[in-house]
Amino acid sequence: MAQPLSPDYYKQLEEIQAVDFVIFELVLYLDTHPNDSQAIEQYNHYAAHSLKLKIEFEAKHGPLRFGMPMRNDQRWEWSEAPWPWQV
Amino acid sequence: MTHGHVPFRRSYKPFRGPFDPCPPIGVKYYVTPPNLFIGFQPPNFKQFSAIEALRKGTLWVPFYDYYENPYKK
Repeated sequence: MAQPLSPDYYKQLEEIQAVDFVIFELVLYLDTHPNDSQAIEQYNHYAAHSLKLKIEFEAKHGPLRFGMPMRNDQRWEWSEAPWPWQV
Repeated sequence: MTHGHVPFRRSYKPFRGPFDPCPPIGVKYYVTPPNLFIGFQPPNFKQFSAIEALRKGTLWVPFYDYYENPYKK
């Protein structure tokens, strides 16, 4: 059985969630304000940050996103616990 | 009429006839969220931090509407 998840797992996941939420909000805002360059700049900043966080998370805790390269080519971790609803 | 201390809430008193067997409902409240009053969003609205925005459900400070049960006193 997978050992219990470290608090760091939850912290990083929450940060990813927060950054992605900001991205969603900015996308909705930019849909109606297409030439707000300051918002686009902020969107790019958060998009890059989200990518960095996810890469770090996947290196440390295992696969997070579908279709991404796996860190371990001896063991298929994608279908291993914890599944999203078990986290 | 606008409910005094609670923002973005309005209330009304449903009519009650003299022969109404049920106990009076009293004041009823309904929500008037901030987006009704803002219309098209101007640029450079104040923002919450990422974690706070996730908690509050919106990135934009003026659009935040804290729901509090007006019936529970």
